[in-house]
Amino acid sequence: MSAQLRSVWFWLSALALAILAVFLLYPLLNVLTGSFGGSSGRSGWAMLVADPKYATAIVNTIVLGLAVTLTTTLIGVPLAYFTARFSFPGKGIVAVLPLVTLVIPEVIAAQTWLMMLGNNGFITRWLGARGIDIPSFYGWPGLITVMTFTYYTYVYIGTLAAIRGFDVQLEEAAQSLGTSPARSRLNVMLPVVLPSVLASALLVFTLVVGNFATATILGSRVPLLSVLTYQAAVAEGGSDPVMQSTLASVSIALVMIVLFVQRWIVSRGRHEVTQGRGARAQSLRGLPGLVTGLLAGLLVIVSLLPLGSIVIGAFTVSRGPVMRWGEWTTIHVERLFRIAPDPVLNTLTYAAVATLIGITFSAIVSYLIVKKRTILTPALDYLTALPLALSGTIIGIGLLMSFNTGFLPLTGTASIIVLAYIVRRLPFGIRNASSTLYNIPNSIEEASISLGVPPVATFFKVVLPLMVPAIAAAAVLTWTTTVAELSASIIVYSGGRETMPIQIFKLIDSNLMASASAYGLVLVAVILIPIVVATRIFRVDLFSSKS
Amino acid sequence: MGIAIEDLAVAYGGTRVIDGLALTIEPGSFFTLLGPSGCGKTTLLRTIAGFVPAERGRLRFGGQEVTHLPPHRRDIGMVFQDYALFPDKTVFDNVAYGLRARKQADNLVRARVGAALERVGLGHLGERHPAALSGGQRQRVALARALVIQPRVLLMDEPLSNLDAKLRLQVRETIVELQREAKITTVFVTHDREEALAMSDRIGVMNKGRLEQVGTPATIYREPATGYVADFVGGANLVEVETGARQAGEVGPVGFDAVSLVARAPRALPAGRAILVARPEDIVMVEGDAPDALPVTVAHRQYLGGKTSYKVSLAGGRVLAVDLQNGAHDRFEPGARVGLVFDPAKTLVLAS
Repeated sequence: MSAQLRSVWFWLSALALAILAVFLLYPLLNVLTGSFGGSSGRSGWAMLVADPKYATAIVNTIVLGLAVTLTTTLIGVPLAYFTARFSFPGKGIVAVLPLVTLVIPEVIAAQTWLMMLGNNGFITRWLGARGIDIPSFYGWPGLITVMTFTYYTYVYIGTLAAIRGFDVQLEEAAQSLGTSPARSRLNVMLPVVLPSVLASALLVFTLVVGNFATATILGSRVPLLSVLTYQAAVAEGGSDPVMQSTLASVSIALVMIVLFVQRWIVSRGRHEVTQGRGARAQSLRGLPGLVTGLLAGLLVIVSLLPLGSIVIGAFTVSRGPVMRWGEWTTIHVERLFRIAPDPVLNTLTYAAVATLIGITFSAIVSYLIVKKRTILTPALDYLTALPLALSGTIIGIGLLMSFNTGFLPLTGTASIIVLAYIVRRLPFGIRNASSTLYNIPNSIEEASISLGVPPVATFFKVVLPLMVPAIAAAAVLTWTTTVAELSASIIVYSGGRETMPIQIFKLIDSNLMASASAYGLVLVAVILIPIVVATRIFRVDLFSSKS
Repeated sequence: MGIAIEDLAVAYGGTRVIDGLALTIEPGSFFTLLGPSGCGKTTLLRTIAGFVPAERGRLRFGGQEVTHLPPHRRDIGMVFQDYALFPDKTVFDNVAYGLRARKQADNLVRARVGAALERVGLGHLGERHPAALSGGQRQRVALARALVIQPRVLLMDEPLSNLDAKLRLQVRETIVELQREAKITTVFVTHDREEALAMSDRIGVMNKGRLEQVGTPATIYREPATGYVADFVGGANLVEVETGARQAGEVGPVGFDAVSLVARAPRALPAGRAILVARPEDIVMVEGDAPDALPVTVAHRQYLGGKTSYKVSLAGGRVLAVDLQNGAHDRFEPGARVGLVFDPAKTLVLAS
């Protein structure tokens, strides 16, 4: 202990912990304690029980979560299985899927689905002109459809990694013991892969609970927890701090329960898996190959539809909310750059600062967590993972409650937006950096020290250069997810500090789809260009550490 | 420069791994810490390096006390089991790393790194990255990197364990040659008794954080202090026996399964229970019931090329191992009744 007190690493850990306590723990505690009543004197929990609207919202949220968990699993698992184990015509394009979730911000996905299938959507209109009326896309059909296509890649990626990591020799062993290939797969592979599948499915559940953009844009007829929380936070004519805290607490509890179940499943399913041979892809020819290829291709096309729609929308003539499909113009994009470029500049500035600070902090804290364990390490480990359990709305509310006045008044400044960005994306940066650090043996640092280089200099001379590829990948991923961030920033932003996602959201709200599409197009470009530059020119492997 | 350790105590993860250890290593000698995994040998090495703090005690290099000196100021060279080469740096830059940290002039660095790589036979591979080298080459680079700074002490943590059998012999020879040439005090950790016997000036056999015995390879092998050392260094037959009090070096009878054997006590012994040590290769097996021989039955036989390894059982059910060189002896069939003859000079009786 006394030796620990003398070490520079202990004090660095303590400093990191203090920063996290102020900007993460304190806001969270404010949210939780706020539910027990403020100036009005009534506990939020009493109001929650009194108004049936809230019970409905909780039930709706759980039902939606379960439904989307189911649909994403039904799409993600077979797709992963066929991609891992078979080769079929057109398999190559499936590889773009992990990028889809990155490149298409949720707000754009919701918007473009609306442009296709909403009341004024081009598919709705085209079908209507031929006498086919489809049910309204608003409410359950839209919520489930859009969220399914937003989130199924999480199940796909999680399952794919598990199947690829599975030692195929186990299946061969089962076959040598006399079970058929199909039976062997069922008996041997399924139990090993199942925990990962369940874990990624439950992750989808938590994302649905926290989902803000799709829920707000499409869920007008279905009260949902996240929407009510947002409305309580930003309601016209004064927000309702007690109710926003109560609803936020409910969704935190919901997500915590699910994460707890997820942890339990993962720990129970942690079999000793030895690194074995991966399976060779079996070739699917003829009809089965064709059908698989067609289904996979269809899925990729549907996933990429928002990208096409955003281009069409950005260049389509509009009169107010009315889209004149088939008539083209560049006026929306021109107007964006001539009259209202602020959201673009704001987004770039805030995201750049947040990425820079976030990645630096993540690199240092990951190093402390992985390589310099002290008694503070477990606390640091848990706190940095905490934002995973908090939706953007909750983080926004917490920051707003904590830094409105008091010792650090940030409300109305750009720094609170940057802060929201950093807090939200912290776990991803940490996870990226630490997975690399686990692969750097301690002996390398010790070798450097034994050759006469002090520990801190060793970090800069030996460890940091080895972390550079992972840091670059983490920076690109942080950037792409930060420029698309909506749910936290929309709570903490103030007039004149709109970012692109906020601007798009407001335009959708006013039903100005063409202008929204123009911003969407720029947003996608801002996401896509760094990815292309990083992967093509600098050869950064974005998904190397994302198992 | 010698190493002196006094009353050393080391805790690792809350448990005291080493308690009250004392050891002196002669300047310029090759000292091996030998023991099974978990015996504390690596912890002791890492305490000498400074990566594990000493809870109590003193550690000196030559005249200088280094107990509380951080590792980067101890002037050590260290070689790791997993090589620990910097993967992003070339072979040349790896070897130059310590010299550059010491702010040596560029032309001097170039000359000394070149010479060091030449010395380990890798002069032509300076521009390669470690990933492009074989395991044996990597460990040679690691060795050059540790030696080029002319450290006061060279510390090696199972440097041969990750190499296959043939390379292990080659790198072993390189290490011994370089050590003899540079006369750097060396501490070498291994669990391989053959490595320890072949390379060392002196060996310390460790067990549960203590040094069971320190001595030359021949002493360790021929005159083990305890049954543990005898077993670990040579895979001996250990049998509990009764004996009278003995002087050091005294040869006399011991009672063993109602048979009397003659054995030598390398150290003085009190009367009572003791341990009889007989190495498999020191026992002679003869056909039939020779008068002085211990009657046994061949239970099991394993042909190993140069020798054959037997398991024989005594009347009481006890099993002993006997190794016979092939060619000079008949091969005994399983089930055959044979006699064992013990050489009084090589059969030892130790305190239990």
